[in-house]
Amino acid sequence: MAKTTSHQVSSWDTLHNNGPFDLRLLQRTKLEGKSNIPSEIGRYNDASDEIQRLIQEALDHNEGFRAYGARWSMSSIAHQKDRMHYNVFMNLDLDISQEDLHVSSSYESANLFFFQCGNTIKEISQKLQSYGKSLKTSGASNGQTIAGCISTGVHGSALDVGSVQDYVVGLNLITGPNPEDVVYIERSTKPALGDSFAQKIKARVIRDDDMFNAALVSLGSFGFIHGVVIEAEDIFLLKRYVKKIDKNTALKLARTMDFKNSSFSIDGETDANGKPKRPYHYKVFINPYTNEQEYVVEAMYKKPYTDLYPDPFTTIEKSVYKDLIYLLIKISEKFPKSIPWFIKQLQEQILPDVNEESLGTLYETFWDAPYQGPAFACSFGVDIKDSEKALNVLIDLTKDEGPIPGIYAMRFVKKSDATLAFSKFPITCMIEIDGVLWKKSRKLMSLKEFSRRMIQVLQQNDIPFTIHWGKNSDWDFPDLVSDMYGSNSEEWKKQRSILLSKEMAALFSNDFLQTIGLYTKEEDVPTEDLIASL
Amino acid sequence: MICAAVLFTSCYSVRLTSTHGAPNPCQSGIDCLEDAGNFYRDKRVIVLDTVIKSGIMTDDIGIRTQREGCESGKLFSVEYKNTLGGALLYLVTFGNKRKVKIKYVCMKPEN
Repeated sequence: MAKTTSHQVSSWDTLHNNGPFDLRLLQRTKLEGKSNIPSEIGRYNDASDEIQRLIQEALDHNEGFRAYGARWSMSSIAHQKDRMHYNVFMNLDLDISQEDLHVSSSYESANLFFFQCGNTIKEISQKLQSYGKSLKTSGASNGQTIAGCISTGVHGSALDVGSVQDYVVGLNLITGPNPEDVVYIERSTKPALGDSFAQKIKARVIRDDDMFNAALVSLGSFGFIHGVVIEAEDIFLLKRYVKKIDKNTALKLARTMDFKNSSFSIDGETDANGKPKRPYHYKVFINPYTNEQEYVVEAMYKKPYTDLYPDPFTTIEKSVYKDLIYLLIKISEKFPKSIPWFIKQLQEQILPDVNEESLGTLYETFWDAPYQGPAFACSFGVDIKDSEKALNVLIDLTKDEGPIPGIYAMRFVKKSDATLAFSKFPITCMIEIDGVLWKKSRKLMSLKEFSRRMIQVLQQNDIPFTIHWGKNSDWDFPDLVSDMYGSNSEEWKKQRSILLSKEMAALFSNDFLQTIGLYTKEEDVPTEDLIASL
Repeated sequence: MICAAVLFTSCYSVRLTSTHGAPNPCQSGIDCLEDAGNFYRDKRVIVLDTVIKSGIMTDDIGIRTQREGCESGKLFSVEYKNTLGGALLYLVTFGNKRKVKIKYVCMKPEN
């Protein structure tokens, strides 16, 4: 049997110290060893039984239950005050063969992989590489678990690809303690796996586009995500360039994504007509406190894979003294006017080196991000056509009412089909400010106040926006979610109430969900029968 | 006195890290070494801080990974810390006593 250890604790925190948050019980499950259960499916189903047992236990105590992985989210989305389950040791992967495909599947079996929830992006990438495959995209680093990524909408800057959830084609959820509460969900219009595979993992099949799209970015609230089916692609290389280019050119590209007719051209990255190629990835870095006429941009172009390329890892790494950053932030709290100067001094550590070039796989390019102390990040999604206007509005706020110890960046993500994906525009520009976590002082507003002002100035300037679920914000801002998602937020709630019983809807909720108005105990939406429609 | 204390504890460390494999994770408040440094945040680090009595005929000393906290038996990173005090101890004991300070992280167990 998989074994769970339970620890009585008093608090829990995110990786970046955005808490602490109250917690009573922390649970951690380790799978049964291969020597006792040699079959991977056997161990997977054994883990499923164990999770159902834990759910029943939480239910018996009238308590909430929530899974978490690498705890990279800076918002309180992963937190539950009663019981939290640490799932990173649940890292099985199951083989998918041609026989496992649905008869109407348009996927190639060689591209489909089934991963248990606790697999990190790094583990998945290594597994895929051993098959000559790669993820289509990832976040800026690789430590998040797959379940955490899709629950919060982790994205990179692959402008024509999308976010992590966009290559997920099937979900295995545990929605309660009973046998029928193990479900396998996929789209009815694009099925991936046949019922025979679902039977192997003892799951009831739900083929429904609306349900699948709602459950994709579930905010961890559609049950325990036990496994996901992803579609990978053939392994590729990314040629990465860092350039300093005219600010107006960088922002025009952000607004239009029209690379072909841009003056931004890199030798060797042009088509047969000499026009610039469209990159796989485009990112703009902005120091809000300098008035430079040039911005640092990062562009990456996809290349066919060959193993004949130089080692992309630098051999020697150095990092700034933790105490130095701590000292700078303490000074900043007392003397906020020093922040622009500090950022200028740390710019070399924060920004990539201009004219840097590298070649590597997706795994090698978006490698480990070292923890560098308590941090914050606020990230807004806007339609690319509004990107320059939104950036200017936010920079003005940061300078006029700050300064805030952070630096801006813009990344670009293709629209997602997920009901509550913040990448909801045809191409979403994610404008993000990342920096060192500070404490409110007499001269420096709090992170929550800054977040509130960001929302207000975007609203005042009529710029439609979304907010990254895993980042810092003033999440109890009035009508925030309905303003961002309109009827989609109601659709998400409806699908959740169809999937979960009232008891389970309460069990899989948390303060975050209540704060943003996506769960209220009083709600009573009639359930519908859902059966496999194919 | 203060100078002597600073000199004897002054040190530097060098860390070798694997580019492949995932580090064995730990959970803060349960089995993480909280003050191990930024690199070790959320990683299950094992610290060896000891003086090994080796004898003057001993050439090299080998240390094996432990099972507790290192179920995979595979290494993700190893950090060796050198101190002036350790070097002096080696000298004054003619190599008989060797200060060893190593931090290592193993690979996350595969299932």
